[in-house]
Amino acid sequence: MVFPAKYPSLNAMEMTEDARQTLIRVLRVAFPHEKIPDAPYERTADKILAEAQSETWFRVALTQGLLSLNQLAGGDFRDLDDDAALRVLRRVEGTEFFGFVRRTTVLNLYDDDEVWEVLGYEGASFDRGGYITRGFNDLDWLPEPRVDYPEGEQMPEIAPGALEVPQPAAEEASAADSTNQPGATSSDMEEVKK
Amino acid sequence: MTSSVTGFSVEQDEEAIVIIGSGAGGGTLAYELTRKGLPVVVLEAGPYLTHDDYVNNEWESFNQMAWLDPRTTSGSWRIARDFPNLPAWIVKAVGGTTTHWSGATPRFKAHEFKTRSVYGRVEGANLLDWPIGIEDLAPYYDRAEKAMGSTHVHGRPPLPANNNYKVFANGAEKAGYKFYATGPYATNAEEYDGRPASIQDGFNFQGDKNKSKWSILVREMPRAEQTGLLDLRPNSQAVQITHNAEGQVDAVLYLDKEGNLHRQAAKLVCLAANSIETPRLLLLSGTPRFPDGLANSSGQVGRNYMRHLTGTVWGYFDKPVRMYRGETMAGVICDESVHDPDRGFAGGYYMETISLGPAFMAAFVEPGAWGPDFTKLLDSYTNTAGMWIVGEDMPQESNRVTLNTTVKDENGLPVPNVHYDDHPNDVAMREHAYAAGEKVYQAVDAVGTHRTPPYPSTHNLGTARMSERPEDGVVDRWGRTHDVPNLFISDGSVFTTGAAANPTLTIVALAIRQADYIAEQLKTQQI
Repeated sequence: MVFPAKYPSLNAMEMTEDARQTLIRVLRVAFPHEKIPDAPYERTADKILAEAQSETWFRVALTQGLLSLNQLAGGDFRDLDDDAALRVLRRVEGTEFFGFVRRTTVLNLYDDDEVWEVLGYEGASFDRGGYITRGFNDLDWLPEPRVDYPEGEQMPEIAPGALEVPQPAAEEASAADSTNQPGATSSDMEEVKK
Repeated sequence: MTSSVTGFSVEQDEEAIVIIGSGAGGGTLAYELTRKGLPVVVLEAGPYLTHDDYVNNEWESFNQMAWLDPRTTSGSWRIARDFPNLPAWIVKAVGGTTTHWSGATPRFKAHEFKTRSVYGRVEGANLLDWPIGIEDLAPYYDRAEKAMGSTHVHGRPPLPANNNYKVFANGAEKAGYKFYATGPYATNAEEYDGRPASIQDGFNFQGDKNKSKWSILVREMPRAEQTGLLDLRPNSQAVQITHNAEGQVDAVLYLDKEGNLHRQAAKLVCLAANSIETPRLLLLSGTPRFPDGLANSSGQVGRNYMRHLTGTVWGYFDKPVRMYRGETMAGVICDESVHDPDRGFAGGYYMETISLGPAFMAAFVEPGAWGPDFTKLLDSYTNTAGMWIVGEDMPQESNRVTLNTTVKDENGLPVPNVHYDDHPNDVAMREHAYAAGEKVYQAVDAVGTHRTPPYPSTHNLGTARMSERPEDGVVDRWGRTHDVPNLFISDGSVFTTGAAANPTLTIVALAIRQADYIAEQLKTQQI
């Protein structure tokens, strides 16, 4: 359902270049990585715009969401500094608009070669022979650990004494006895009187 | 089309042994029966992907093989909030979830077959002793471990220490743990059984293109095909099991890729569709004779759904780890897998190394999160070490798979709803496990740690549980349903309780044992 908005500008249905730039700024503020260049953010923004094109409701939510950021910013959202912009985004965190942007960003921004390179991930490896000769065990700041269990030692399965004490129930009794767990549901000892 | 892809096919009106599902249970059963000379028809809902099809990319692979048919969730578990339409992370393809699995092969401990007796009465839990014990399964564990090539046993060497393990093992040692090692895992450290040694490529969850990891696709399926007795039908989704006037199953109805309905006559049906689809199919097969669903006189079909404790702890360091280099999982700490109620809960848990790429890390490290706190976790990627917690969760009658009649799949069938509430014992154990994991990383000077909530369930168990008495469960000690003599359940659904161990080894061992039983029963004409 689409409600006519209080501000006429919020009824805009099509994405403008300004809106795209605002979206890129949203991604930069919501997912700040100093070392990641603009290109992956732009690709992600374009992905979001493309997704929005295929769903009317997303397109409307996105268009209106971006416009409402300017309303909340009291001007152009893009003019806010990082802290102020983050505060605005926190105010729209629960909206359909922001949820759509967040989900799509999480799925796409981090599935990107350029981002992987910045984060220090090397991507596909099978075609390069795996890491067997390319550093799968090159960590050198800790001693070489053993890879086998200690010889001649049998791991205990049950702690000593665990079977010799009454078993505590994890939660207070509520229901009656089940067929599968027959037994008393309350103590045999009732009130003590003198 | 409905035709077999193997060159051997059974007529649709010929009463066959029909296996539904080709994963750890169904695939093992198919091989074990065909090698005894018994022809089988395997109906697999998913496509026939091969190792050439697998891709070294997390999302691309996920979309290629994951079971993405609509499902719904309810209950207080976090999955219902974080991944409401993806309760389980399992595979829809020939070989089932063995293509995705990590390869960990711990056995059940003796007492884990007797939890009602050993743990005692745990309020709210529907504990029950298995009708079988470790002594029944031990010889089959041996056979399963040899089939799968488990490291650390039967002469198979351990996997080498990778970067993630070095942090994990040093932390374990300093935290006072003793029983840690790089296995057992069903991934070859050296060539074995025609499969090469691991090249440590790190794409284990994506199918392992190198074939070093055991899966149904590298061993059982090709060998079953070689017998000339395997009729394998991919893209064939079973939608109903029918029965005759005597109450014996007589056919399986299934849909092909185009949505056309087919009927395969059956003298015996083995259902191994994983613990969500297995009860769904039984519930979809209700008739006036079986009004609550096939084989459900106990009312236990779909109930006691278990999914293991699970949780992940990440450790952040001031030096590089590069956990993604090498096998995704190749390290286990067993010390906490004991039953020690002094810790405040019944049962135990394992800690196992895990690694995710940035794509999955972003999606799973803190579902729903964003902002600088979130991006900091990703910025530390190179210096991150990871471990997964897998522990026994309590069976509860109210944790169950039901038919959601208000949501239909593309074929117009009600989708399964998975309801789950954490039991207080699960909550206590998870809290203990998170703290233990943090202690391990802090022992080697982690500059920070992070607790990740459970992923969609990879270990789905218990929805057609094994019981001595027909009123307590769905199948008997052989996996044969109490109500229908020629209907067997052959997957993790039969688990009476879940134990701490990763379940695949036990599913395979149970399937080998069941195949022996079925062959014997057919020979003596008792089926």
